[in-house]
Amino acid sequence: MESQIRTIHQQLINKEITCTKLVQERLELLKLNTHVTVNSLLEASALKSASKVDAKIKSGQEIGLLEGIPFGIKDVYMLQGTYTSASSDLLKNYKSSYTATAIQKLLDAGAIPLVKENCDSFGHGSSSENTIFGAVKNAVNPTLVGGGSSGGSAVNVSKDYTVFSIGGDTGGSIRQPAGYNNVYGFKPTYGRISRFGLMAYASSTDCVGPITKSIEDARIVLNTISGKDLKDQTTYHSEKILEEAILNSDAIKTVGYFKNFLESDAIDTQIKSDFLASIEKIKSKGIQVKALDFFELDTLVSTYYTLAMAETASNLSRLDGTNYGNRIEGENLKETYSITRSENFSEETKRRIVGGNQVLSQGFSDEIYLKGLSLRDQIAENFKKDFMEVDVILSPVTPNLPPAIGDSLKDPLAMYLSDAYTVGFSLGQLPTLTMPKGTETGLQITAAKNNDELVFKFANFLKDII
Amino acid sequence: MTVDVLSSIKGAQPSESVNSLFEVIKNANTTNNSFNQNHNNAVFLDDLREDVVFHSPKIEKQIIIENFPREKKGYLVVSKVIEE
Repeated sequence: MESQIRTIHQQLINKEITCTKLVQERLELLKLNTHVTVNSLLEASALKSASKVDAKIKSGQEIGLLEGIPFGIKDVYMLQGTYTSASSDLLKNYKSSYTATAIQKLLDAGAIPLVKENCDSFGHGSSSENTIFGAVKNAVNPTLVGGGSSGGSAVNVSKDYTVFSIGGDTGGSIRQPAGYNNVYGFKPTYGRISRFGLMAYASSTDCVGPITKSIEDARIVLNTISGKDLKDQTTYHSEKILEEAILNSDAIKTVGYFKNFLESDAIDTQIKSDFLASIEKIKSKGIQVKALDFFELDTLVSTYYTLAMAETASNLSRLDGTNYGNRIEGENLKETYSITRSENFSEETKRRIVGGNQVLSQGFSDEIYLKGLSLRDQIAENFKKDFMEVDVILSPVTPNLPPAIGDSLKDPLAMYLSDAYTVGFSLGQLPTLTMPKGTETGLQITAAKNNDELVFKFANFLKDII
Repeated sequence: MTVDVLSSIKGAQPSESVNSLFEVIKNANTTNNSFNQNHNNAVFLDDLREDVVFHSPKIEKQIIIENFPREKKGYLVVSKVIEE
């Protein structure tokens, strides 16, 4: 199977390239890149790690598959000693005191982090324009957005600045930028990968996940970073997904899709037509296809944003400039909190915090927040029923092509609605992959909870027929 | 309570875009099932880590101090709190 990780691993052990040269080349590309994907470069530590890998190879020792492989990290992950800014003024000079579990697993496997990647601040956005470092430019057409919130990560992989990147997905923030930049992006089942060390946005849907150029690379990285972690009590033990296991997709007999996703006025005609053509190709292979009912798009978007804003309001209440962050002193303690937060949070972040606090407050919480929780339960029940009828569900990733830089900021509601196809799977905590085929912004494949392997099987099968 | 006080954000205002999302929820149909009935998120007692004090490494403590917005002789400087 195609794999950038395996190719580079072979080149290293065959001494066709040194790790130092590899890392130097990628660092240079990152430095010179005009897509605004870099928040901070980890040059010194990367070169130090690379020389250790070279010394190991030179002395005849074996190296692991991920050893020496350069990767990127969305700038919401803690990596001890590096700045983790969340692309925000509040944390622009904040140094991580510890390392996220998922990142530590990659370091233990010998992978080399090169860069903290630009993103929407605290994950708040679908375009990577909500950032103090400047808007991320799309890998294919730089007048368009990189997507978000893991825009920097997706662009870096697409442009081969990194071999893979670790993004974060709460409502689509890995899958959508992956679609916008023609790469694979995987949001695993919630709880498969530890969130310890990931700056929390909406804790009940936040997921760690890989962005890669191949299914095999996504599988390799996923296996490395998955696992139960006592520091994150929502994690569970999962079995590794074996390479041989995904070569055979006989287990998949029936595929579903949501009719209302295609009946919406919002969907671009070409994306719709390409999606339907993909469905026909699947049918031609003898797989049964079922059109399923689902919740209205505005219900899905509103449920997601109600719950996510409430959770982010709670999670970001810790950011007040007391122990860390860009404190702006006021006349007294409350003023200090109030001014620090007002001056340092972006408009979008403030919008979400305010909205979240509104729905949690007395007089609103019954009508809105609790109702949102109830809707979420219904959505989850709906998925359970669907997966009794179908093995996987297919969906477009986005209703439209990436917007031009600047357009999303004028219309936040339009930006929220553009998440219509990704948020449902987030609320269901389902494993969902974007693959860069089938429509201009890719296809989403999802399966029941804990069925991450099935998603990979189907993706592997699908990539050869469409 | 106004939203700027609720959020501890000076000058904060509600947003029309966000309010329109909330309207959808208000008008949505839900079933009569009480929420949370399917949730079983409790953690088993033997799934917890050992109840021992774990001392953070020196470097972690060093970086925490480096991050202090205002520092004096290794201590975090904060506003004086006066009861209102």
